Amino acid sequence: MLKSIFPTLARFRLAVQILMLFVTVYGSVIVGNYMADKISSALPALSCAYDQANGGYCVLVPTQHIIHHRIGEAMVRAQQLTTQMVLPLLMTFVSFFAFFFVLGKMFCGWVCPLGTLQELVGKIGRRFGIGLRRVESGDLGDVKRVRPVKWLLLLGLVFVLPLLTGLGVTPHTLGNPYCDICPSRIATTLLTGNTEQLALRLGDNVSFTLGAIANLLIGFTVIGALAVRQPFCRICPLLALNSVFQRLSPMRLSKPAMHESCAKCGICTEACPMDIPEIARQSGRKAYHEDCTLCGRCAEYCPQDGIIKLKWGPFALFSSSRDYYKDKVKRELPDGTVKPLKFVRNAAKPAAGTADA
Amino acid sequence: MKPHPLLIAVIALGAHAQSHDHGPARPAPGGQAAAPSAAPSAGRPGAVREWTRQPLLLAGRGARGERTAAMLRPQGIAAATVTVFAAEGPESRLKVEYPVTADGAKIEAAAPKTGNYHWVTAREESDVEVRTASTAWYFGNPGPSPKDLLKRPRHELEIVPDPLPREHASYRESEKWRFLVRWNGQALAGQTIQLETEFGSRGSFLTDAAGFATVLFPRDFKPSEAPADGGHGPRRAAFVLSTLKEAEGRRYLTAFNYNYGQDGDRDKSLGWGAAFGLVGMIAAAPLLRRRKTGDNTHA
Repeated sequence: MLKSIFPTLARFRLAVQILMLFVTVYGSVIVGNYMADKISSALPALSCAYDQANGGYCVLVPTQHIIHHRIGEAMVRAQQLTTQMVLPLLMTFVSFFAFFFVLGKMFCGWVCPLGTLQELVGKIGRRFGIGLRRVESGDLGDVKRVRPVKWLLLLGLVFVLPLLTGLGVTPHTLGNPYCDICPSRIATTLLTGNTEQLALRLGDNVSFTLGAIANLLIGFTVIGALAVRQPFCRICPLLALNSVFQRLSPMRLSKPAMHESCAKCGICTEACPMDIPEIARQSGRKAYHEDCTLCGRCAEYCPQDGIIKLKWGPFALFSSSRDYYKDKVKRELPDGTVKPLKFVRNAAKPAAGTADA
Repeated sequence: MKPHPLLIAVIALGAHAQSHDHGPARPAPGGQAAAPSAAPSAGRPGAVREWTRQPLLLAGRGARGERTAAMLRPQGIAAATVTVFAAEGPESRLKVEYPVTADGAKIEAAAPKTGNYHWVTAREESDVEVRTASTAWYFGNPGPSPKDLLKRPRHELEIVPDPLPREHASYRESEKWRFLVRWNGQALAGQTIQLETEFGSRGSFLTDAAGFATVLFPRDFKPSEAPADGGHGPRRAAFVLSTLKEAEGRRYLTAFNYNYGQDGDRDKSLGWGAAFGLVGMIAAAPLLRRRKTGDNTHA
């Protein structure tokens, strides 16, 4: 029964993503109106607090807020850092980790609303035959050049600028700079019919510029996702934060050893929405890369039995197999290509004389 | 990928083009919710004036910014104490009375680490009249949901928000919000409630069969002349909802006062927002060109 509804891991993941998109964007109808009713205010996914109907908050919101209002301002007042000042931040990370421990980086690949939206746009691109562009040498460039950006955004916009603002060094409008440029803020609020976040604040150059960057990012992401898989995920600071903790969750990607054909095959990298070459070239810890979102596509498209697995602790939740691979590629190619939709004119012209009949 | 020169130019142009108007900062999800204030915050700081004759509980000076304490000043009501109800905490702290001094009543959260909404009331009673003022106070620390707190009756006649704005959100002009009117704990149908705002707007609303009145907040903020009063968030102004009922020879007057903010779309440009979104789309358009080589070979 379950297998007929979810014949593949991808189908099951899509169902989870759609469900979580509802929860993260409209979830207040289930969990309740108030913040205290939310699933958590430290979710490891870009569930935007500006969305008034959501079911939980992204961990980056309290992180910026506490660093700005608690730590930075307290340091100015007290000229010292005490446990009491950093306790709220520690509590935020404890809450975050309570969720992260269970699902690990699946929050990126299975829960994050912006990740889901990008994937849905990508599916439209594949369905309409828009050619896939890869972040790799020979196409858009080496993926390693993009990777540091997410760390810079995490460090600069989530930690440093809020702290400098709390210390009074930078203007108050830089108190939550990541939220201000986050494209998920625009996307999820638009999904609730709210255009307020799309509009740009006038009269304050800093707010205007940050808002403009967010709008550029969401515009770029919407069109870019038609051709490039998960364009924003590659620079997302939450992916960076999640990757800091990825070894502390039992949920992980496992490739304990290379198969003899791994060096020549590379289908797993082709299937990877983050274009991670290490999954094909490495094994052990290095195969579970910081960019991995635990979507499981590499395991689905690995044609060798038991080489790549999604595991929670000692339990293998999904394991690659040749039979599964053969069945999978009939439905969808590793790069996501499916039989494209084509709009053609009616080839059968009406016979002469029948049009006026 | 290098940033496109066109994008940089558009950002610079946009930032420069709107430098004449000084609006407030965008409401931030991490910002502390404002509470009803005695000092009008909409560009007229400092001046305390009476804009209504209804009983009010207003924030006194120095109250903002404190996480576990606040100063509330009764106005239009001769109350010796202010009572604070908490949703959670030690039994002795679920209902606490604070004496009103010349500066007002200094109220505190139920526990140092228990924040969120607390319900605050003041009462003046005589043989012929009962006057009650009520408001909600949001303490910055996390705390329990106020759902159950709002369900419990405190006085004979009450106006209760249903719901209160979510933490870090607010009532805003042009929005409709529901308020429940209760009489001895029961929903009161067909009751008229009056709305008054700090800017002089007046309105009246009738409760339905379930005791709910849907209140439309008037769009009465004037264009801003000064930036918001520091911090995140839109400009705010006070409002009060009141209703009157006579029973058994006594006159019952109750009021709920709080703040509402200016419309989130004020001082914002959807056109500029859409324009930058469009520029982002155009910047991504070259990605849609097909690759010439390196097509997938696993088909």
